[in-house]
Amino acid sequence: MTQEISSLMDSELEAHEAERAIRACSLSEEQKQTWHLYHVIGESIRGHAPRSLALSTKVVEALQAQPTVLAPRRRIEATTFTRVALAAAASVATIGVVAWMGQGGQGGAPSPVVAKSASAIQPVSIKSTLAPRDSAQPLDVQDYLAAHRQMPSPELYRPVNNRAPAAAAR
Amino acid sequence: MRATASRGGRWIPALALGFACSAHANPGNDPLAWLQRAAQAARSTSYSGTFAHTNGDRTSTVRITHVNVNGEENERIEPLDGPPHEIVRRNDDMFCYFPDAQTVRLDRRVTPGYFPAVLSVAPAAIASSYDVRLGKVERVLGYDCQWIRLEPRDVMRFEQRLCAESTTGLVIRAKTLNEQKQVIEQYTFTDLKLGPHVARSNVKSIFEARIKRWITDSKPREEAKEVETGWSIASVPAGFQKVTELRRTLPGKRQPISQIIYSDGLASLSVFVEPNSTPRTEEASSEDGTTTFFVHPKGEYLVSVLGEVPLATAQQVARSVTRR
Repeated sequence: MTQEISSLMDSELEAHEAERAIRACSLSEEQKQTWHLYHVIGESIRGHAPRSLALSTKVVEALQAQPTVLAPRRRIEATTFTRVALAAAASVATIGVVAWMGQGGQGGAPSPVVAKSASAIQPVSIKSTLAPRDSAQPLDVQDYLAAHRQMPSPELYRPVNNRAPAAAAR
Repeated sequence: MRATASRGGRWIPALALGFACSAHANPGNDPLAWLQRAAQAARSTSYSGTFAHTNGDRTSTVRITHVNVNGEENERIEPLDGPPHEIVRRNDDMFCYFPDAQTVRLDRRVTPGYFPAVLSVAPAAIASSYDVRLGKVERVLGYDCQWIRLEPRDVMRFEQRLCAESTTGLVIRAKTLNEQKQVIEQYTFTDLKLGPHVARSNVKSIFEARIKRWITDSKPREEAKEVETGWSIASVPAGFQKVTELRRTLPGKRQPISQIIYSDGLASLSVFVEPNSTPRTEEASSEDGTTTFFVHPKGEYLVSVLGEVPLATAQQVARSVTRR
């Protein structure tokens, strides 16, 4: 099964094989760990610092059980695990669509199969996380915010000599 | 509601004249007249005080003095948190003093629209995007204050509530609410002096004399002019209009990046386009209070949208950026 998981991550599986691999991942704790571990390894190979190694399923479940707090709005940092969950969910969704198309893709309302797989995704609380964050590339909002608000921040000039060339040049 | 105006053309000039003169007069029960007055008060009245700005988790405090002398706006803004700095503004010319860096940054304001100047277009344009109503009259900071409620007509913007001081019309408190009616951003004066006794000397720089030789950074001023960036937005959300487009140098970026600013009169957003040098391959987003940031890789370019808008608005804009 580990080979299948590896292939799944590399998008090398046929739809039915992928479905089997995903099912295995979601049913067996051991496969879930493998899936997680492979992503951590993958990230390390790509030169990204692996994050939240010790984050157990329990912690993730506890986080997901939290009510969605909307004020103040704040994004829960996508952990490696939730990113995995998102990827898995995306794959499931893709399979759903592929399966539907395989059935002849009749126009009009999507078939119940698609609807079912879509609703099965919901409990992973993807809706509240939307786009996964690229963990190795944190969003640097500050400079864009200063430009948008036309409210320059002192950060622009710190340190004076090597941050803003315009400031250093006389 | 507008039966008077539509009944006969002869009423229209009289109404228009009445409207033009009413900026300082009592706007009565007309919510748009209250908006007009609030916009004008931010420019033409004199005021001095401190306001607190809470956006998401962050709160900051700002001292502001604004004096209008013979039609010239003079303003001094001093953020009171973090490293000391101030912004002195004369109409659209901005002088930003950073004493720690001994740098004065020259810039030109390209859009009005920060507290208490909350509007950037005519109130009539705002009415197409928001349902404007008068709320209750309340005592705030010792002043009688009229609440103006702006409910969005679609999901592309947030709800806003403005509290305008009754005699001048100046907005002294402003709230932004999400779809669940929770306050996600708030500006409020914590102390305020209104009227002609605000001294003109208070709008002068207090840092200027502390440093002997200032380093002048005039690049921002040179860059604050409209240019053709070559980019456009194919699917602009209803009610949003382009304010300007320019090229800005951001710290750590080798070349100036394109910035296109849109506004619906209350909320604004900036679209940034730059080479995707890292490169980033996935879309990403962050939200804090009303500030939404959405990044969309577009081949060799990276599109970033930042604004006081819901994520869906930022996504729609970012994903429809095209080469002109």
